[in-house]
Amino acid sequence: MIANAAGKLPTVAPQTSESRALRAEGITKHYTTSEGTITAVDSVSLDVAPGEFLAVIGPSGCGKSTLFNIIGGLVDGYEGRVSVAGETVAGPHASIGMVFQEESTFPWRTVVENVAFPLEIARVSRAERLERARHFISLVGLEGFERRYPAELSGGMRQRVAIARTLAFEPKILLMDEPFAALDEQTRLLLGDKVLQIQQQLKQTTLLITHNITEAVQLADRILVMTYRPGRVKRFVKIDLPRPRSSEIVSSEAFGRYVAKIWSDLREEASRGMQDEETCKRQSGGDGA
Amino acid sequence: MAATGGIGRAVSGPALAHPVTLVRIAIVAALLLAWEALSQSGWLFRDVVPSLWKIGGALGDLLSSRDYWWHLGWTGFEVGAALLIGGLSGLLAGLVLGGSRFLGRAFEPFLYYLGPTPKIIFFPVMIMWFGVGPGSKIALGAISCFFPVVLSTAAGIRQIDLVLIRVGRSFRANAWQMALKVYLPAMRHPVINGLRLGLGIAIIGTLLAETKLSSRGIGFMIIQAYATFAMPRMYALLITLFVLAIGANALVGRLGGVGKRA
Ligand SMILES: Nc1ncnc2c1ncn2[C@@H]1O[C@H](COP(=O)(O)OP(=O)(O)OP(=O)(O)O)[C@@H](O)[C@H]1O
Ligand SMILES: [Mg+2]
Repeated sequence: MIANAAGKLPTVAPQTSESRALRAEGITKHYTTSEGTITAVDSVSLDVAPGEFLAVIGPSGCGKSTLFNIIGGLVDGYEGRVSVAGETVAGPHASIGMVFQEESTFPWRTVVENVAFPLEIARVSRAERLERARHFISLVGLEGFERRYPAELSGGMRQRVAIARTLAFEPKILLMDEPFAALDEQTRLLLGDKVLQIQQQLKQTTLLITHNITEAVQLADRILVMTYRPGRVKRFVKIDLPRPRSSEIVSSEAFGRYVAKIWSDLREEASRGMQDEETCKRQSGGDGA
Repeated sequence: MAATGGIGRAVSGPALAHPVTLVRIAIVAALLLAWEALSQSGWLFRDVVPSLWKIGGALGDLLSSRDYWWHLGWTGFEVGAALLIGGLSGLLAGLVLGGSRFLGRAFEPFLYYLGPTPKIIFFPVMIMWFGVGPGSKIALGAISCFFPVVLSTAAGIRQIDLVLIRVGRSFRANAWQMALKVYLPAMRHPVINGLRLGLGIAIIGTLLAETKLSSRGIGFMIIQAYATFAMPRMYALLITLFVLAIGANALVGRLGGVGKRA
């Protein structure tokens, strides 16, 4: 919203009621490495309805981050099309906010300066951006740490700063790549609750990448299960659990059934992945000897 | 410069009572005593090791003479101009080489070969191009300063965490905002380090040039003192030079320490 106000308004989509906030069609991405060409993502298509929460789950190395960066407009040289409300995106889009898998806070900025960064880019006045940054800092439970530098925080706290920073951008569409991976189980559940609460309040369209089944079932309306290399769509699973959901739902019976279902899907892929990596290791070990 | 860096840190270092500080003071005191003993012993020819009192006297004479400040002014001007020219061109060249893989790979081997070459060998060429005045001294200092700055800037760009660049882009920062708010702060440590090295080398280059062919500057005064065998005066000059180098280094270090936590 802010970015829209300050930057260019995206060309408004034709009024043919576009029921898809976010759409990816036939996304394929190859990487050329020293060992030849690998297909990281293979013809993945997905739709996310306005306000919907889609989780993408898949074993490590199946191309989730690649897909994430393509949808965020940060990667070129792929096949397929990404569109936001019907409009094809090329480059970072004003209504998309991203939380990255890697450590991504700016080490030379304090917590409040980090969170205010997107507002600074959008040229919001200093007083206003500090006030708004404070609001999102308290949302992720980091009041009192405003003046600290990232190096003075724990890894989980830094990730919360990154989440608050993206929330401060007030994106209509929120993309998150394993944002809770660095957190312990309890914090993960509580912060998941928090993000879900904010998402429901702001009616944000959300795409969450994860390899944690519990997290996916707890948060999502729908789950996309991906195959291991090349990353393809294995299945979409609709999660019919009542909302609002809190982390307590984790212990319910219906929850357990979803987890078991997705786990059986994933086990196949994950074990293929493990085998693959082991043969890789053996081969490279053989080369070294 | 490494040595002056150490001293610079000691000055702003721990409290006086700290054991390390005491040991350092003891080392300096012992050195001074040894020096004085050697000087009094008469083993060495005349003024090769002058007494501390004589050096002190010469230092006093030096600091109260207008001549000294005039020469110092010239040297300061030359070093400053060398740092400005060499530092800025090094920064720009480093940005270009670090930003382009192709140019980096094409040019950097030459820089690595030329970097450690003593730049004084270019002095005759500089004299032909810029004359015997300050111009050739500035040129030599600037060339010396250029190399560490360009290499550390280029390396600095490449060590930037790529995810920080993606963060900036995802929030739709324009090129100018990316440069000022992401690239420059992310590479400030290597750049400041390069400037620090560059400053030290610019001082060396400039002074060396002054000792070779010149009619002004501290280098010129040193070589003149040496030629007339005014040893106490020469040592006094070296001491002032030492203090100035420490001060300049501390100043650049202070600039680098702005966001010192990260
Ligand atoms: N820049 C790149 N160059 C070459 N190969 C790459 C590059 N980025 C990713 N890959 C490869 O593409 C595949 C998918 O990577 P990606 O990071 O998308 O996986 P992921 O699903 O996010 O894994 P994880 O869950 O471990 O984060 C991997 O095999 C990886 O080696
Ligand atoms: Mg990933």
